[in-house]
Amino acid sequence: MKRSQFLALLAAPAFAFLPGCGKSGDAASAPGGSVEKRLTIAFLPKSKGNRYFSTCEKGARAAAEELKVDFLFDGPTNTDPAKQNEIVENWITLGVDVIAVACENREGISGALKKAQAKGIKVVTFDSDTTPDARSFFVNEATDEGIGHALMDGAAQLCGEEGEFALICATLTAANQNQWRKQIEARLAAKYPKMKLVDSKPCDDQKDKAQQEATNLLSAYPNLKCIMAICSPAVPGAAEAVKQAGKSGAVKIIGLGLPSENRAYVKEGVTQSLILWNVEDLGYLAVQTAYAVANGTLKAGDKTMKAGRLNEVEIDGTSVLLGKPFVFTKDNIDQFQF
Amino acid sequence: MNRYFRELSVTGALVLLLAVLAIWAPHFYQPQPLLSRFTAQTPALILTIGMTLVMIVRQIDISVGAQFGVCAVVAGLISASGAPLIVALAAALAAGAIMGALNGVLIAWMGLPSIVVSLATMVTWAELLRLFQQGKFINLPANVQWFGLSQSAGQQGLIFGSVLLLAGVSWLLKNRSGGRHIYAVGSDAEAARLAGINPKLTTFTVFVIMGTLAGLAAVLNMVQSPQVDPKCGVALELRAIAAAVVGGVAVSGGRGRLWGSFAGLLLLATINPALTFLHVEAYWEKAIQGLVILLAVIADGLRSRRQTS
Amino acid sequence: MSSQNSRSIKSLLLRHEVLLVLVLVLEIFYFLNNARNFGTPDNLSNIVRHSAEIGLLALAMMPVILTGGIDLSVGSLLGLCAVLFGVMTHDWHWATLPAAFVTILLGGLAGAFNATLITALRLPPLIVTLGTYSLFRGLAEAITQGTKTYRSFDPGFLGLGEFRFLGLPLQGWVLGFAALFFGILVHLTVFGRSFRAIGYSPEGTRYAGIPVLRRTAMPYILAGLTAAVAALLFTARLQQARADAGTGYELAAITAVVLGGTSIFGGSGTVYGTLTGIAAIAILSNGISRVPAVLKAGIGGELASLLTGALLLLALAAPALVRLLQSARKQPTT
Repeated sequence: MKRSQFLALLAAPAFAFLPGCGKSGDAASAPGGSVEKRLTIAFLPKSKGNRYFSTCEKGARAAAEELKVDFLFDGPTNTDPAKQNEIVENWITLGVDVIAVACENREGISGALKKAQAKGIKVVTFDSDTTPDARSFFVNEATDEGIGHALMDGAAQLCGEEGEFALICATLTAANQNQWRKQIEARLAAKYPKMKLVDSKPCDDQKDKAQQEATNLLSAYPNLKCIMAICSPAVPGAAEAVKQAGKSGAVKIIGLGLPSENRAYVKEGVTQSLILWNVEDLGYLAVQTAYAVANGTLKAGDKTMKAGRLNEVEIDGTSVLLGKPFVFTKDNIDQFQF
Repeated sequence: MNRYFRELSVTGALVLLLAVLAIWAPHFYQPQPLLSRFTAQTPALILTIGMTLVMIVRQIDISVGAQFGVCAVVAGLISASGAPLIVALAAALAAGAIMGALNGVLIAWMGLPSIVVSLATMVTWAELLRLFQQGKFINLPANVQWFGLSQSAGQQGLIFGSVLLLAGVSWLLKNRSGGRHIYAVGSDAEAARLAGINPKLTTFTVFVIMGTLAGLAAVLNMVQSPQVDPKCGVALELRAIAAAVVGGVAVSGGRGRLWGSFAGLLLLATINPALTFLHVEAYWEKAIQGLVILLAVIADGLRSRRQTS
Repeated sequence: MSSQNSRSIKSLLLRHEVLLVLVLVLEIFYFLNNARNFGTPDNLSNIVRHSAEIGLLALAMMPVILTGGIDLSVGSLLGLCAVLFGVMTHDWHWATLPAAFVTILLGGLAGAFNATLITALRLPPLIVTLGTYSLFRGLAEAITQGTKTYRSFDPGFLGLGEFRFLGLPLQGWVLGFAALFFGILVHLTVFGRSFRAIGYSPEGTRYAGIPVLRRTAMPYILAGLTAAVAALLFTARLQQARADAGTGYELAAITAVVLGGTSIFGGSGTVYGTLTGIAAIAILSNGISRVPAVLKAGIGGELASLLTGALLLLALAAPALVRLLQSARKQPTT
């Protein structure tokens, strides 16, 4: 949602309260008499009011417009772990055709998604997967393993494969962060015996908290060679702490983050390695996949699919591949606006 | 001694924690990180000053975190547009004062319970902010950070300014009639009214001050980094309330001192780094904070029980 | 006589609970006409299932607030109980039934801990439960080291999350039973009526010969037991137990109680009012996300919170506004 639309959106529900008005403006439930029935795709991010997922939403809306489908969007506005399940169960009774979901909770949400499938609703996942039996396709920007290995290998390279490093994550309970941490630790144990993960701190998904944690880590572990930030607000937070401690370049930073939030630090050389996929394309591809699944053009066993402006996209098993993540550097970061 | 029991016991606990750190983790006292750590607490300190006043007047305000977030985004957007910092500061203070005044009108003049009113306004500001900003960071021009000064000058300025404000408000509370009115209304609004104080006006003013301080705190937070995170206010109200409570401010109103709240804030704010320095796992933090709050009030309860029996 | 009658009708109409029922009816009427598939049996069952845990906490919170107290720790306790249940069934390999029983017992014990601090040491409930709010959640995180999630419970237990009897989901039956229990306790027993008296005037109640401290303790213990029951329901519904279960539920429960007409200062309120408050919030958040214009804009979650906040303020301000209007009308005549 653009900020310019903000006031219009606030006004919309006010009109919706006038009896009848909501009905007449209701394209979604219009009976499919005159034209063929429009497909309804419901799009569920892990959380709302989050730059990562609002960028996803932008791409998703663009795809929905191209495909002329009705696009529903809702997501948790707080940290209640039951919220995603409730939204899916509500969408089942609402009567949508496809649900595209970024799962906060791999196993927790599978029951609700299976219920949807039993009612004939197609399910695709994006960003983070559920159990494979609860969806038809997963729009895969990177596997847990891929992310874990990229971060750990990257950190090892920055440190010369030896020394201490610390990690900052979103919250201790966030499911996908924990999956990544597991992969990072597994890779560490398998390949880098001379490196040591000294501490992991949560930053509650807040930049300022990440900055404070990083400040503490830097002075509590004077031999620290690298900070790995695995949630997007933690990357600029850690960078600011390193900069204020006067350790730019001496303590390396690697993380998963948005170019728009890290541009200055990458250019100054505070942050060495920033990894992320094209988030807008991720949302776009999720809706394209959802559409293709609902139309029957995408079936199990297919090796490629056509995805609008992304052209031909590869499929591995039931994973639709977005392509390799970007590594943003001084030289290319200005090309990315998200 | 007895009069200052709570404030002194909290200060004692803080000194103990600092002593433990001095023995087992002397790195804690490296000057530059210590300065950064202290500077990072100045916004919370400003909020704690306001919350102490609110609690002395026998109210509570759980919307301050959301107010802080709104003010941060207001100040951030204005700074990002290239306007001078003073304009951003004025706008943030005004925004805070307006939000505080709304709380004040509902609580003081309509007589509605502050905990419920501020719960409703918290939800309102937080949701509007989310809809408006969508979690987008605001990148600030280079001259905003540290007011355009050097880092250490900026940090020292922030600390000096906040502590000066603390001392000033503390003095006003004790020595000026307006300050005494806050205590009077908090301990017994009816008696205060009979003594010629306007309890409604006093309560209203305190909420406006609280909102204005939230605006100030947001700006002091903004100048510490080149970006504004719109989620920066989340859960700050709990920190301010906990600091005041641990520092001996009574929720039943009429009792409390700012330096007690200050000690409470420092104690709570030292726990988090202490865990890092003493190599305690992060998942103990909440339990330990809860325990500190409980110990502080239990000590209080045991003492007052011994006195009455 | 007739003027007295009309006055009593007027005061009945101005009663908080009656106004709230009107709001509820308006909500239902509006959503039936404007929200997609709102009135389907499946959706009604959704509303009940999704509001059960917060509803239970609200019902238990009501007597606490009635005595003039508050319990901020119930959401955290829900999380702690869910984790403890997971520890017993998974790490200790207990059968579901004894584990559930002990979980409820421990919930009661945690409530008793709150009650002891509040009554024996005469500490303010807000502060005590602010401390245990942090402590209980912290313990849940420490036990699971923050990261551990308990999954794959006994299928019979998980079936409870979807179980229906006579068309009503299990959650509805539990909620109904709890409402009946608290309704009888608060309104029909001498014991429970003393909650109101304590909230109204603790000193006066003491002079009336009622053991105030012992009676004040009871609602907190019940809140602990209820939080544990809610934890079991939550675990069955979500098919997992993790330290973040029930985050923020304490504020949602307080909102429902206050919206339901219980004074936050204690001394007045009804259980059926609380039940109406729970329904008003649950129906609002379900229905608003089905209104086409809201669906299109994708702002269902935010709007539900905003409208709940507005409703809460309106409900609180209504009596004050009515008084203002009345005094304004009186003034010209006098």
